[in-house]
Amino acid sequence: MDFNPCMKHKMVRKTVREFAEAELGPIANDIDRQASFPWEVIEKMRPLNFFGLQIPKDYGGAEMDSISYAITIEELSRVCAAIGLCVTVHNSVGAYPIQLFGTEAQKKRFLPPLACGERIGAFCLTESNAGSDAGGVETSAAPEGDDYILNGTKIFVTNGGVCGIALIFANIENSGPRPESRVFIVEKETPGFIVGEIEDLCGMRANPVSSLFFEDCRVSSKNVLGGSIPGLRIGLTALDTGRIGIAAQALGIAQGAFDASVRYSKERQQFGKPISSFQTIQNYLAEMATQIDAGRLLLYRACALKDEEKPFSAEAAMAKLYCSRVASEVTGLGVQIHGGYGYSKEYDVERYFRDAKVTEIYEGTSEVQRMVISRSILTQLT
Amino acid sequence: MLKLVTCIKQVPMVSELPWDAKTGTLKRELAEGMMNPACKHALEAALLLKNRHGAHITAISMGPPMAEEVLREAVAMGADRGILLSDYPMAGADTLSTSYTLARAIEKECPDFDLILSGCYTNDSETAQVGPQLLEELNIPGATFVDQFEIKGNTIRMNRTVDEYLEILEMDLPGLITVSTHQYNPRYASLSGVEDAFNRADITRLGIDDLGIEPEMTGIKGSATRILDVYSPTTEKKNDVITGSPKQIVEELFAKYDDKIGSAIGKDLKDYE
Repeated sequence: MDFNPCMKHKMVRKTVREFAEAELGPIANDIDRQASFPWEVIEKMRPLNFFGLQIPKDYGGAEMDSISYAITIEELSRVCAAIGLCVTVHNSVGAYPIQLFGTEAQKKRFLPPLACGERIGAFCLTESNAGSDAGGVETSAAPEGDDYILNGTKIFVTNGGVCGIALIFANIENSGPRPESRVFIVEKETPGFIVGEIEDLCGMRANPVSSLFFEDCRVSSKNVLGGSIPGLRIGLTALDTGRIGIAAQALGIAQGAFDASVRYSKERQQFGKPISSFQTIQNYLAEMATQIDAGRLLLYRACALKDEEKPFSAEAAMAKLYCSRVASEVTGLGVQIHGGYGYSKEYDVERYFRDAKVTEIYEGTSEVQRMVISRSILTQLT
Repeated sequence: MLKLVTCIKQVPMVSELPWDAKTGTLKRELAEGMMNPACKHALEAALLLKNRHGAHITAISMGPPMAEEVLREAVAMGADRGILLSDYPMAGADTLSTSYTLARAIEKECPDFDLILSGCYTNDSETAQVGPQLLEELNIPGATFVDQFEIKGNTIRMNRTVDEYLEILEMDLPGLITVSTHQYNPRYASLSGVEDAFNRADITRLGIDDLGIEPEMTGIKGSATRILDVYSPTTEKKNDVITGSPKQIVEELFAKYDDKIGSAIGKDLKDYE
């Protein structure tokens, strides 16, 4: 068992950190305040393969391993979580299901534009009556000749306002008492694909999270992901990978808040000394560092299992459950260390604090993660 | 196709490092390494040539085994091949034995090069000597602190800033230039490039036996200089109060400080006596 990062993983971290600090660092607070999506930075990210992290080279991706993937998301989120979110959702639940379940024709058609970032991906499961209960989806797909007609509303769609390709979960109409679900690959130009208003959220404000409406949206049967593969199976598999991304994102937010707090505690003077010389602050820093480290080990284990093609669902859930909690706790302590300034928008830690909370909610709430973990414990043979 | 060689050094990422008093060298193992910034600019210049005209780029570095990192980084950015000169007898080299070793490696591995590009100086020692020494070793023409250049046929035309003047030089290839940090802002490595740098990169590691050089000619043994001491300079401010009549004060001021005042205003005050 080797706990040291290899030279490649160190270089991935260095490469992404250099980019994130130079290109996202100066704008992260502004785009948060203005809730604006930084297309000019996205433009720079495209040729560097941020949108094809794990997509095979044959389709234009970087074909990275999962630890490299996690490091990439961690480092983007350490500086700007909203863009970390855009990239992880695009890669893990936008592109990966096509890579995993798509027919060869679907891969050839959809992966290259996703890999080069010409099209941003989105994943649309949540509805007003479906979220943690993925079976409650009401969006319908009515067969009509070789096509399907989609009707329904998806809410809280990450990248919703900027996506070019969205994966839509819908139930086949009149497919019986237990409706058959499918995933449809829908391009934004498709008539009847309507982007709703951008949500006014607490954090991740630079990511245009929106509703998507489907009004008699005609989609060819060629766009049914994987042909007859049940949507729920695709969804659950995608979410396992998605959880790795969100855990990495949560970890990056925690690391960002921690780094800012260490810096601040050395600079801020009280009673004639830097506050880092006080035991209370030292205890906070020790606690934060320990939690981050523990989260990182959980996360990289899940990644390693995925790369070894072993089951990693419970481990990914543990990493997501723990890292998201760490993000909330560490950013909270970060604000505490900064005192009044930490509550001000002048300091990054305020943004980290707001961004952290949602990592406990999306791509499976913490409660759902516990369900996944406990299910894996209780179904194990003893 | 142009054959380019870029010399790259790994330098410590932090500016203040513990010094090994016995050898007079840095304890490099205590710091994370990075590609020396000026070397990165030189590599960028080579990569632009490759993009425009097509070129084969060999990145070469001498250093401890961990210097392999900067060669992989060079490949991630777009270099075609990396050569690491790393061997115990090469340790502790000054600029003379470094350029000697680099020259022998280039003669052996890239004998038909068109242009060698190196950084104008390194951030850790700032001697700016390896480039000029290397062109002497190889007996080729060269220019230092080049801001911008273009190649036409067998000729390279270069701009360099000398004091306040822009100098335009031409020389025949093969040659060597050291590149300043004024232009050629380095690109970011792509993530696909990083993957390739580890999965399919051509990195060769060579020692003194591979190069056929004697241990006495390289490393600390081949060095002509020794660092006797390294310390942070201390500065202090002292007030000098001159008293007397205004005439006496001015005369005494000039008597004591005319050199400094003269150099500050760019005139020799003795001429005005």
